[in-house]
Amino acid sequence: MLKSRLAAATAIALALAVGTAHAQDITIGYITKSATNAGWMMINQGARDAAAEEGVNIVEVGPAFADDLTSQLEVFENMVSQGIDAIGIAPADSAGIAPAVNDALAAGIPIIAIDTGVSGAEVTSFVATDNLAVAKVQGAVAATLIEDGDMIIYVTGSQAQSTGQDRRNGFLAGFTAARPNSQVLEVPTEWNSEQAQVGVEALLNQNSDVKMIVHAWDGGTMASVAALTNLGYGPGDVKLVGFDGASDAIAAMDQGWVHANTAQMLYQMGYQGIRAAAAAARGEPVAARIDTGFFLVTPATSGVYKQMVGIQ
Amino acid sequence: MADITGAEGQQTHPAMRWARDILLRFLRAEWSGALIAIVVLAIAIEMVTDGRPFFHPTNIMTILNNSAALGIVAGGMTLVILTAGIDLSVGSVMGMTAALMGYLVSYLGVDPLLAIAMGIACGMGVGFIHGGLVAWFGMPAFIVTLAGLSVWRGTGHLATGAQATPQLPSTFDTFGRWNPFEPLRSAYQAGELSAFWQPMGAFVDDNWVNFFRTFQMSALLFVGFFILLALITSNTRFGRYVYAIGSNPSGARQAGIPTTRYIVMVYMVASVCAVLGALLFLGRAPYAKSDYGLMWELEAIAAVVIGGTSLFGGRGSVWGTFMGVILLKLINNGLTLAQLNTFWQMVVTGIIIVLAVALDIVRQSRDPMLVKRFLAALAAAMTFLTLMTPASLWVRATIALMEHNAMQELQATGATLAPPQAQRVMNPTAVEAALAAQADAGLPSAALMVVLLVALAAVARPDHRVTIAALMALGAGLAVVLTAGYATAAPLVMLGAVALIAQALVKPLGRQAR
Repeated sequence: MLKSRLAAATAIALALAVGTAHAQDITIGYITKSATNAGWMMINQGARDAAAEEGVNIVEVGPAFADDLTSQLEVFENMVSQGIDAIGIAPADSAGIAPAVNDALAAGIPIIAIDTGVSGAEVTSFVATDNLAVAKVQGAVAATLIEDGDMIIYVTGSQAQSTGQDRRNGFLAGFTAARPNSQVLEVPTEWNSEQAQVGVEALLNQNSDVKMIVHAWDGGTMASVAALTNLGYGPGDVKLVGFDGASDAIAAMDQGWVHANTAQMLYQMGYQGIRAAAAAARGEPVAARIDTGFFLVTPATSGVYKQMVGIQ
Repeated sequence: MADITGAEGQQTHPAMRWARDILLRFLRAEWSGALIAIVVLAIAIEMVTDGRPFFHPTNIMTILNNSAALGIVAGGMTLVILTAGIDLSVGSVMGMTAALMGYLVSYLGVDPLLAIAMGIACGMGVGFIHGGLVAWFGMPAFIVTLAGLSVWRGTGHLATGAQATPQLPSTFDTFGRWNPFEPLRSAYQAGELSAFWQPMGAFVDDNWVNFFRTFQMSALLFVGFFILLALITSNTRFGRYVYAIGSNPSGARQAGIPTTRYIVMVYMVASVCAVLGALLFLGRAPYAKSDYGLMWELEAIAAVVIGGTSLFGGRGSVWGTFMGVILLKLINNGLTLAQLNTFWQMVVTGIIIVLAVALDIVRQSRDPMLVKRFLAALAAAMTFLTLMTPASLWVRATIALMEHNAMQELQATGATLAPPQAQRVMNPTAVEAALAAQADAGLPSAALMVVLLVALAAVARPDHRVTIAALMALGAGLAVVLTAGYATAAPLVMLGAVALIAQALVKPLGRQAR
């Protein structure tokens, strides 16, 4: 943690030094939720590309471990006190970051929330997929893959977080509307694929008539592929439905494991977020809500999707 | 105090005495606390879940399979803790070496066996650094390995770009998901078996899903590793020195034990065990990645402590850790099967860990009063969980109504509500439902609250009059639970009652132990 704070301070100082050398330059702070999660790496790439395209400096800081609010707050306050031009942030905690965001906004620094919203502050712009709406689509599509009354498993994300809550609530709403008699067993996780794998194995062992496993994120999808392999199932024996459109889950779709995946436009989230931040820093108006949309990947549309996001 | 059992006569039947001796010897073992917790918990889970029985071999094998990787890491940790040290870096070392081995194989085309050898060498180097700093420079193990926790995790991310590898070659499966019965089954299905093997192949194939499917290398290696580790700790000079260093370091040095060298060796063993844990984990995981093993150091320490090993060193056993790991994974598995709410899972996990360690402390003290208190506390804990079954509904409904009313009052003053505040305002049907839930759960909660108070009184004063009152209260609680429609909590009440009844055994056993 100390390391990342130190790195952040040095990086900001360096960027600002460079900034004063070329008075026109704009420096944008970008605070991510994770530097190691496959999905977040795509978002971060989008952010970097946008900064390069806009010709602005970007200071990227990830937390020492995923969802560490205290280190995010510290980095955020450092950036504000050093006079950064705009901040794009993926809050580790929607409510916890709000007071700091309000202070920054009051100081005239535009704040762009990326992926996760801030509750209790009017950010300059909120750039994200509407998780609840996409999860409803995921639920409705998943329902078409099985009969009413079939037992399924849902692997949740963290229920202490709005993203995890929205995805679960959206899925259950979309799914149970179409398949009211199906039993949904749940594997609770904190976005941890190890928990997902162990939980899925336990439930599959006890209930051999599970027909489908639906996931709140693609780390869970890959964990289910491993769990099914461990128990000797083949592709298609139990249908899998993913969320995120991560490249390994798409590869698993090509092998016949995954039957549907609601892909967030992850790259777009980082890209649009930093473009909005750059625009706001220049004093241009930006929309208060930028929906980056989603793409429904099925075996039929996976070719289009792969071309779109650049998977070989 | 009257003797409740009456079993303690002058002439005890030889079979009775024999059974009692076995029981006493069992209670003296370090691992008995964890084993009792495992059995009690397994029975509780069995009673609250439906579907395939919890004690089904496939489920037990699944728990063993999933315990294997953590178990081997915890095995190494046991040795470190026995020397009164600690190794906080094992999770990071596990993640780093898992990623490294996967990376070498996937992107540099290194032969899997060579990559594994390199991983083990890497673990030895890491352990040498930790042990050297502790033994030769006298740095506290806590600080050295806390630094290691950060350094090795960072190194793992740096070395592999924190990217997942593709699926690993099947060599790695040998340490994880490979099933020794698989070749027999596929040969049977292909019709290649000789007449002698044919019936066995048919048997395996028929019982594949219900039995043989979960017989995997990870579980076998897990058990094999612990047998080996137990043999080493109890039968070799290394094992004896580890205990000696932990119980009295200066005495060990004076007795001519080269303590520094052995401490370095222990940290090397711990890091190598982390690498072996990584290997077993890779055998069942979808890919290799440097964020594996997060928080494993804490889980491993928890397993060691639950298994009755003292954090102050010198006392404990490898088998205790084995039981501790299984208990942790059993809690996980059981609570998932029981489909308990996530946040409750966290609370219940903590309660079980505290009870398991309390059991161990009570067991060591051999003070009958403390044992009785513990059993009463167990009954109280069960009553608390029973109480929470209706009370959590009541609390949730009450809080929702309070929030609703407060927000409406705020609205009445003309304030605009922020979105999360507006969410607290309920529509009339939701208000109706909350009121109904409050009314339904209120009375049973109040009744069970009284039962809990009586159970707590039995903790404070564990004499037999209060205990019998608590037992009667639990009986009443069972009636409440069954009539009010919370039958899922009934096994908890019964477990509490069993704990209270077991108090009667304390006195005769205690007398015998002395």
